[in-house]
Amino acid sequence: MLLTGERQFDSAPFDSISYDLCTRRGDVVVMSADLSKYCQVVRVKKELPEQHLDVGMAEQNLLAVAAGVAKGGLVPVATCFACYITRRAYDQLLICMGTGSGAGTNVETGGLTNIAIGFTPGITNPARIHHQAAEDLGMVRAIPNATVIDPVDPTDFRAALDIAVDLPGLTYIRGHRGNTPLILDPDKFTFELGKTYTLKAGKGIGIIASGHGTQWALETSELLSERGVDHSLLHVPTIKPVNEKEVSDFAFAHDQIVTIENHQIVTGLGSLVAEIVSDTGGGPRITRIGLANRWAPGGTLAYIRAQLGLDAEVLASRLAGLAS
Amino acid sequence: MRRNQSVNDLAVIAARIRRHVLEICRQRGGYAAQGVALADIAAVLYFDELRPDADGWFKDRFVLSNGHDAIMVYGALAETGHYGMDVLKTYNADGTSVDQSPIEGQLGFEITAGSLGQGPSQSAGLAWSLRRQGLDERVYCLFSDGELQEGNVWEAAMFAGHQKLDNLCFIIDNNDMQASGQVADVLAVEPVPEKFEAFGFKSRRINGTGITELLDAFEEARATKGRPYAMICDTRLWAGINCLQKALPMAHYTARTAVDWDEGLTEIGATLMELEAKRRE
Ligand SMILES: Cc1ncc(C[n+]2csc(CCOP(=O)(O)OP(=O)(O)O)c2C)c(N)n1
Ligand SMILES: [Mg+2]
Repeated sequence: MLLTGERQFDSAPFDSISYDLCTRRGDVVVMSADLSKYCQVVRVKKELPEQHLDVGMAEQNLLAVAAGVAKGGLVPVATCFACYITRRAYDQLLICMGTGSGAGTNVETGGLTNIAIGFTPGITNPARIHHQAAEDLGMVRAIPNATVIDPVDPTDFRAALDIAVDLPGLTYIRGHRGNTPLILDPDKFTFELGKTYTLKAGKGIGIIASGHGTQWALETSELLSERGVDHSLLHVPTIKPVNEKEVSDFAFAHDQIVTIENHQIVTGLGSLVAEIVSDTGGGPRITRIGLANRWAPGGTLAYIRAQLGLDAEVLASRLAGLAS
Repeated sequence: MRRNQSVNDLAVIAARIRRHVLEICRQRGGYAAQGVALADIAAVLYFDELRPDADGWFKDRFVLSNGHDAIMVYGALAETGHYGMDVLKTYNADGTSVDQSPIEGQLGFEITAGSLGQGPSQSAGLAWSLRRQGLDERVYCLFSDGELQEGNVWEAAMFAGHQKLDNLCFIIDNNDMQASGQVADVLAVEPVPEKFEAFGFKSRRINGTGITELLDAFEEARATKGRPYAMICDTRLWAGINCLQKALPMAHYTARTAVDWDEGLTEIGATLMELEAKRRE
């Protein structure tokens, strides 16, 4: 299901994803908070202005207006940087967009569709701390009944949004922008909500990753293979509702687990895997790799990763060390 | 006037809503002061302004932002017959479906209101959404002077003004009361009408408890084109139930034992008799 040959890149994935979706679905409204250009909402804004709504630099307003747009019968796709959607406007995300469906609400099944896409998640924004969002997955997966997706490339990003427009309740998707590697082969990969994907099957170390973490894990995987370190790699794009069985089966089939995520090592994917494994008990050791109780630096992604020991070389050495 | 109600009929309905509010709150306490103060707004909204649809509900949309003002809605929907008083009397009881601050999807409530300050943006989004689809439904949002201290409210005002949402009407319960005392002392919000004007609204200050003035203001809101409307209701002037009036400015929440509910019910009973006598004349 992986593309082979020389790595190709999509320079503006969301521009075509949003445009294609809006062309297909006239009821979708792509929303911005003065960051349309920076979330690559260009063609929709220019060519389908009826389906674009900018609320200005006001993120609480973005999400609350979005919830109102949904209540009027349209499908809002609120776009912004992940940090502002989650940190600045968490209450609007949870209350306005998130309490209209699910167990414990007044609409146990069904409910209105509310979508938010958080761009430059984790450490993928060059402006340190305030523009980065290394706690968004933890915040959003704590919302009952929410759907949370951390895609690895434009292919599962596109598929996730295509599915989200028909899902009841709140869906949060981590976005990709700018030169994004094409990793999955659209002809051989089918996105299903809750499904996990074995990108490499081996023994010994089982790597579990999502989003940008899966990109880094694939780079690491290549180096490990060169060095003859046996391992597997599982891509888990659906953080919620997570496929507990597939994650658990994968974990228990390996000697040890390493999670790699573009997130703090608390509350995100690593924590999620640890929760699932401990529910069964007696599972393998889990090493969680990501941001460990520190603020990330700013700069290019390559620089930030190197500073944090998240570049492929350091990751491969760490994993090889764990294996020996 | 939209549904040809007489002013006196609406006054009778308002008095009956006040009685429902007291009967609900006397069970276990509640937001009685707000319920009685907002009863005229409720009567005019539910019995004149909101257009009925074919399914026994309303075509126009009412968004309650100030969750605890749900008591006003309960009083009104008891009067319309959408809720039975037996159910409403479980307000504030363990296990009740009648939340003091309701969750989205409960009959009568468009949004989860209780984290205050989030109704104006949602109603503006709703109004934008309806207009985009070419629908003529109007949107009404009730929120409070306490909520005017929340930044999200002014983000909503700026958005509604910019978008010229003339299908949107804000109703502000400007009662100079919030959880810890008088708004003027805690954090002054005045001049409220001027603030909304500055954000692109047509605005008007009324006392919020006079039926004729309310009918007139709703009429003006509908006639206003090219900008949203803000109705600033100084409901603190309402003085029909002495036992609650005495508790001001600390009347934000009324405990069951805090007031003499029988006294209040007697007062409202007398008002109701007067109004009904006038109706027979
Ligand atoms: C965002 C938020 N902050 C704080 C509260 C707690 N709170 C509940 S009511 C209230 C005062 C609100 O003032 P207002 O709505 O004007 O009160 P009223 O006139 O009904 O007494 C506060 C601070 C809340 N519910 N939501
Ligand atoms: Mg008040």
